[in-house]
Formats: sequence, structure tokens, C-alpha cells
Amino acid sequence: MRLSWVVSSNAICALLPASGFAGATIEGRVELPPSHSAPVMAKRYEIVTHGGVLSTQPPLAVVYLEGSFLKPATPSTKQIAQKNFAFVPPLLPVQVGTRIEFPNLDDTYHSIFSYSPAKRFDLGRYRPDERPIPSEVFDTPGLVTLRCDIHEHMRGLILVLNTPHFVVSDLDGRFRLRGLPAGRYLLKAWIDSTTTRAQNVELKNGETAHVDFP
Amino acid sequence: MISFKRPHLWEVTSFRTKLALTIMLVIATVTAVAIYVGQGRVAANAEGDLRQKFQTELSGLDKLQELRNAALSERCRILAEKPRIHAALEDNALELLYPSAKDELRDLMESGNASSDQAVGSLHARFYRFLDGAGAVLSSPHPKDVGDLSAKAEAQLAFKRLPDTQQIGYLTEDVDRVDDAVDEVIAVPIFSTETGEVISALVVGFKPFEIANKQAGADVKSGIWADRRLHMPSLSKPAQTILSNHVTRALSHTDRAQNSFTVALDGVPQLLFYKCLNPGSLFPPAYEICVYSLADSISQQRRLRWQFGGVGVLLLLGGFVTSHFVAVRFAKPVEQLALDSERNREQRRHAEAQLISASEKLKRSTRYSADASHQLKSPLTVLRAGLEALLAHEDFKPEIYEELSTLLHQTRRLNGVIEDLLLLARLDAGHLQIQSEPVNLSQLVEEWLDDLDALPDSLDVEIQKEFPPDLYVAGAKRYISLIVQNLLENARKYNRKGGRIRVAAQTGGSEIRLAIGNTGQPIARDAQEHIFERFRPATTGATVSGHGLGLNLARELARLHDGDLKLVGSADDWTEFELRLSAAQPVVERAS
Repeated sequence: MRLSWVVSSNAICALLPASGFAGATIEGRVELPPSHSAPVMAKRYEIVTHGGVLSTQPPLAVVYLEGSFLKPATPSTKQIAQKNFAFVPPLLPVQVGTRIEFPNLDDTYHSIFSYSPAKRFDLGRYRPDERPIPSEVFDTPGLVTLRCDIHEHMRGLILVLNTPHFVVSDLDGRFRLRGLPAGRYLLKAWIDSTTTRAQNVELKNGETAHVDFP
Repeated sequence: MISFKRPHLWEVTSFRTKLALTIMLVIATVTAVAIYVGQGRVAANAEGDLRQKFQTELSGLDKLQELRNAALSERCRILAEKPRIHAALEDNALELLYPSAKDELRDLMESGNASSDQAVGSLHARFYRFLDGAGAVLSSPHPKDVGDLSAKAEAQLAFKRLPDTQQIGYLTEDVDRVDDAVDEVIAVPIFSTETGEVISALVVGFKPFEIANKQAGADVKSGIWADRRLHMPSLSKPAQTILSNHVTRALSHTDRAQNSFTVALDGVPQLLFYKCLNPGSLFPPAYEICVYSLADSISQQRRLRWQFGGVGVLLLLGGFVTSHFVAVRFAKPVEQLALDSERNREQRRHAEAQLISASEKLKRSTRYSADASHQLKSPLTVLRAGLEALLAHEDFKPEIYEELSTLLHQTRRLNGVIEDLLLLARLDAGHLQIQSEPVNLSQLVEEWLDDLDALPDSLDVEIQKEFPPDLYVAGAKRYISLIVQNLLENARKYNRKGGRIRVAAQTGGSEIRLAIGNTGQPIARDAQEHIFERFRPATTGATVSGHGLGLNLARELARLHDGDLKLVGSADDWTEFELRLSAAQPVVERAS
């Protein structure tokens, strides 16, 4: 009941900017680093560490418009599930104040915790039938690394952003942001835990700006 | 009359002294060598034993260390796999590192000081610290949980770069802690399970192992030399400083991992061993120092010296007594020997003197007879020459000629006598040397028989010859001829008218016997044994001329030739002599 309400309100929020005024649009491409490992089954992403740098495998970018935007009146709720001993999705960008639920979809215990400065929490061990679904509100911008105390290989990344305008690129690095307010902004592309690129953009209503991150 | 008492006594005494001195010298040398060798052995044995002990204890220490290091590295491996540790190290949450590790390392810090057994207590840490990726020490928000450590000591734990192997070090604290001022520190790298890189290191501090000196006795002191200081709680501070200086000097001279030297502590010599505890470590080198008292060894040496000395003295005493007895025992025969030899020497001297005087006499007499012969011969020659000159005159009366020729005959006889005397003198003086060669005796006899036949006053004697031709004897022809001449002349001279002479030869083995017999008046029985003496003419009849030297000369000459001459018999108108000479191989005559 509550879950369905969260989902529906979420859907409204997502639809709102797009269906409202014809805002500005940005599209372009982020030059992604080459894939480190052999092309895996493309559908499954995972978080890898290389020299202390966390990124997704295969590489993905999160493109977002930086600026001061109003916080939504009702905080949205999202989910990162633990399924087949992995976080799904492995990389989730959220706006500050978002509540994230961590449902356990495996038939065993998981123990989710994070030591990241942006959000430290420890959900402790719980089983799939744990109710309510353990959740945390992320109200500090930054990168949060998710770990499981029982399954050391499990990694998940949450990128907590100040902006509501963000999108995850596709495997080629292409992205499109719609319904953006007009004005001068800084457009950023998060590539891995240490690499974030930025470009200035000037947005006009009804127009589509083309920005590439080489 | 002969005074040899004094030298004999002196010699015997000196012999005794020498014998005793030699025995004492031998015993003293043997004792000294025994003491020297024995002491050397004791010292070497003691050092060997102590070295062995040190090695054993160190190897025990090594085993404990190995055990602990293995346990620690396993602990670190497991620790590195813990997601929380990882998260703390990788997610920049170092302040959560110690709280996360607290549970994991709880057993390391617990167990307290209840355990006295080192093997069990070996994993009881006094403190632990993590190093960050750069090698710097991460301070804990709750120092009580990770063990107190001064800032200076904590600074010593840092590395310039994280090591990728275990490092053992020993660190000293400024704080004047009474219990132990040295900590053994083990730094174990923590590898990321994802990247395999060294992301941190766990440094654990322990109370250092002590050389187990409970069973080794109170004479053993062990400690650790680190940071140019010696930590040996069982020693007083000044003694520690002295030892520390010694060790520092020794270490600066040799870079060997293990060595030993002798030092004096409170006047007691000590054998000091040292061995590097952390060779090849990134931490500064530290040394295990063990000091063993040599008091035992020295007292043992002293005891040995006394024992050997005592035995030596006893031996010396025994040797002295023995030498005395032996000297007396030996001295008796030596005494006798000295006496005898002195007596013998005197006797010999006496005999020599007699011999010399006899020989002098003999020489004088022979020289005299030789001189006399020469003195006689010269006037005789003058006389003969004068008589012969007178005979050459033609205006004398016939009876004067007869008288002159008789005189001449007599001078000739006299000449013969002088010749014989001369020869005898030379024989007596031993000056006569014969050159032995094969002489044809048969031929010699034939020649002389021919000469006899040619004599004018022939007695009409029949001559029987019973010898083979070419009988050879060894000798000088001149003297053999003289013997044969003498015998044959005698045989003719003492013969009767119409008598006979028999010459027979017999070969027997290596000698030849020549028998010469003649008819005539036999030699008187009581004169027979004297006929070979000088100037004893055979007393057969006054008609025969003879001077009594011929037979003597013949026998002397025969004996000179290793032969002999003897009278076989003289009775019933028959007198026979036998001449014995050595046979010789005939000379091969060469046709020329």
C-alpha cells in the first residue's frame, strides 16, 4: 500500500518537469574510459576498484546540471535491491533528501553498511522478509559506497546530488537531459570516484544545447 | 799406587744428579703441558657449551617469533578481507578503522599478563597501530584501546613507504618504564583483496621474548641492544652503559650477524654473544645480547690447575725417590764399570809400556844384528880381496898357496854365515816380505842335485829321485831355493862314502811334502830336539863343517811360506827331513 503510493508519487515527480513548460534540453556524449576487462555480459553492471578508484564496469557516466534548485516538497523514495549477491542498480544518482530502500531479494542475510563520509550507516544483518524494508535518507551530497559486511565483494555506488536534473548515460556515453530551466549553469559529468568533468552551459527555453565531454 | 778414587766418585755423583734432574725436568714438562692443554680444553669446552646454549636459546626464540609472525600475518590477511576494514581504509573513514578492528584484534590485546608461558603469551600485544597508505601512523581516537605509546615511540613506527613484507623492529621509549623499555614491533602489510596492493600496515608491539634463562641459571643475563642502547634489566645502569659501549664498538668493527667476545663485569670475565634479531629489516638493526659468566669455567680451570699441579708435585716426589733408587741401582754397575775401566786402563797402559819397551828392545837387537852383519861384511870383503890378490902371485911356495886357499875358503864360509845372520835378522825384525808366485820345485831340486854332483870332493853318493816333474809350490823362488840348498847340502855333507840321498815328493791336498833323506851317522837322540835352534850344529862328527844356522834359517823361511820343516827321523844310518809347502797352479808357459 505504502509502497505503491511511493512509486506513484515518484512517477508524478518524474513526469512533472517533462510535461510542464517546454524547458531547455541538453544532449551530447561523454567520452568514457575504455573498458578494463573483457566485454562482459553487457547487461550486468558492477562496481570495480582500480587503484582505489571506483567506477562501473562497463563504464557509465552520470551527467547533471549543477546549480541551486529547490528541494522537492515531498522527498522521493528509490530502491537499491540486493539480488544475486549484487546491488541492483549498482550506480544510482539521487537528489539530496531522497530515501533509498534496500530490499533483500536473496535467500540469505545481507548486512549493508557504508563508511563513506557523505553517508555513514549500518543496517545490520537482515533477511528478505524484513519489514519495513530497511532504508536511509541521503541528505549530504557526495559519493556513497555501499558494502555488505557478509559478502565482501558486493559494491554499490550512490551519487547524492544537489540537483534534480541528472541522467545516467548509455554505454556509448550518450545522454539527454530534458525540461531544464533556462539560465547559465555548470554541466558536470561524473565518470568515476575521482573523475568529474564540467562545462559551462547557457540554456534557453525550447532550445536544445549540444554538449560533449571529450 | 794408582789413584782413581776421586774422579770415579765425582762421575758417579754427577751421573746421579743428571738422572734426577732429567726425571724432574720430564715430569715438570709433562705437568706444564698437561695444565696448558687441560686449561685450553676447559676454556674451549666452556665457550663451545655456552655458544651451543646461546644458539639453542636463540633458535627457540626464532621459533616463537616465527610462530607469532605467521599468526600475525594470517590475522592481517583476514583483517584485510573484512569489508569494514576495507571500507575504513578505502572510503576515507580512518577514524572508523580502529573501532572496526577493535573486535578483530580484541584477543591480541586481551589475555592480560596472566599467562606466564611464553608460547601461549606470545600473541599478547602491548599495542597496535595502523599505517595509512603513505606509511604514516594513524592515531587512534581511543589510545586506551590500542595500547599507550609515547609520541616519540609512535613516530618510530612510521615508514617512508609501506613495506610489502613483514618487518621486525625493536623500539625504545624515552619514558622511564621500569619493567621493560624495549618493545618488539612487527609490521605486517595489509594487501587489498581487490587490487593486491599494499593499502596499509598493521604494526603490533609486543613485550620482547626473553632468553629462557630460568633453566640456564642465574649466571646468564640477556638483553636487547637497540637504538645504540643496551636494555638488560638484570644489570645495573652503569654496567649496562659499559656493556653497551662494548657492543657498539664490536658492532662497528664487524658486520657479521653473530659474534662473541669476552668482557669483564664487576671483575668477573663474561662471554658475551650477540646476534642480529632483525637482519634485513627496514627497522634499525637490533641485537640479542647474552652474557654468560665464565666464573664456572674459571673455577674449573683453577681446580684443574690445582689437580694437575698436585699430581705433578706427587709425580715429582715419586720421581725424585725413584730417580734416587734408580740412580743408586744404575750407579752401582756404573761405579763398578768406572772402577774396572780405570783398572783396565792402568793394565793396558802397563802392557802397552811393556810392549813398547819389548818392541824397542827387539828393534834395537835386530838393528844391532843387522848393523853387526854389515860391520862384519866389509872387512871380510877386504880380507877376501887381499887373499885372492895373494893367490895371483906366482913366486910363492906351493904350501903357501894351499894355506891361502884354505884361508880363502874360510872367508867364504864366514861370508855365508854373515849372509845367513843378515837374513835371520831381517826375519826377526819382520822386515822380510815375500812376493808369492808359483815356483817349480822339481826343477829347483834337479838344479841343486846337479850342483852337488859337480862338487870335487865327491863321496860317490847315489842319488834317488822320486818326484814328478813340474811340481809347483807357492813362494819366493829365492828363499825356496835357499831351503832346498840347505837341506840338500846337509844331506850330502853328513853322508858317508858310497851312501845315498833320496829325494821324494808327495802331493796331498793343497800342500806338497818333500822328503829328503840321507845315509850316514844319525843325529844323537838328545840333540835331535835342538837341531833347529840357532848355533846348534848337528853333533854328528867333528869332520863336518857347519855353523848351526842353516836348519834354523830353513825352518824360519818355510814357516814364512806358511809351510814347515821337521825332522822325520834319524836312526840306523838314515836321517830324513820333511819340507811342507803350499801347492800352486803351474804357470802356463808361453811359447815365445
